[in-house]
Amino acid sequence: MSVTDNPLPSPIEISAPTVEDAIQAGLENLGLSRTEVIIEVVSEERPSMYGMESQDAVVRLTPIAMPRNAAGASVILENRGTENEGEVSIAQEVLQELLKRMKIDATVYARRSDLIATDEDNGEIPWILDVQGVGLDELIGRNGETLADLQLITRLIVSRQLERRSNVVIDVEGYKTKREDSLRRLAKHMAAQARQTGRKTTLEPMPPNERRIIHITLRDDDTVSTESVGSGKNRKVQIIPRRD
Amino acid sequence: MKELVEYVAKELVDDPSQVHVRVVRNSRALVVLELRVAPDDMGRIIGRNGRVANAIRSLLQVMGERRGKRVTLDIV
Repeated sequence: MSVTDNPLPSPIEISAPTVEDAIQAGLENLGLSRTEVIIEVVSEERPSMYGMESQDAVVRLTPIAMPRNAAGASVILENRGTENEGEVSIAQEVLQELLKRMKIDATVYARRSDLIATDEDNGEIPWILDVQGVGLDELIGRNGETLADLQLITRLIVSRQLERRSNVVIDVEGYKTKREDSLRRLAKHMAAQARQTGRKTTLEPMPPNERRIIHITLRDDDTVSTESVGSGKNRKVQIIPRRD
Repeated sequence: MKELVEYVAKELVDDPSQVHVRVVRNSRALVVLELRVAPDDMGRIIGRNGRVANAIRSLLQVMGERRGKRVTLDIV
């Protein structure tokens, strides 16, 4: 890995009618390829609707490589920026490599996670790598099981390359974000029910990351408390009304 | 499918030169792959309770489904 003192180009934000157009324009602008930047979708395009004007997509490209020199070689710098950025660029490459070898035509977008269900609570906003393409349902699998496997393999490879544990979050077609939204709504709905009836409510069995979403959603609600009961695959959250 | 197993295995083991993947069978409905790694690397590939091996199999299954085939991976 070569290290140069040349500063990398600054991140740029580009807007265009579609996300893909914006990425292409940005890459051309920087003289870099897809694997040499971190792609963040700032906002997706919105068609005009109900008399509202349409809105262009905005993407942010953060270079992790120097633009090609005359010899056509590009230099990818290691340990640039925060440790987290090094992690996300390695993870993006690993994930792209896995997809390529699985012969899946998809694009990996990186963005700051707005998920609360990440494994660590060190205050740092984790990165989330979202795989987008056509017909990727098999990559999610039943209850997200295949997605969990893809994340496991990616994390293991990234951890070996980084020589420290990686907790990068992998998503496919925004599945986790959508799932988290519906779990949050479920939590609030069931909490209201527990409050009204004065009885504790038990939810369906859920995997640990999903139970965690329920606990965190209701953490600041002082009318109910939550706890997990049962063991293994049968572990579920109970919402208990507080009596004052 | 072989390329996927090769990549993952080589990234996870200490001795990539000992990673060998072979297609044992490739029929209309079934693909059988065989992965060999150095004895000291077996644990890394299999993982606790077989978690890593099963995750690799699950990714192979995605590829298989798209081709209407079942895929098995033997680690020897």
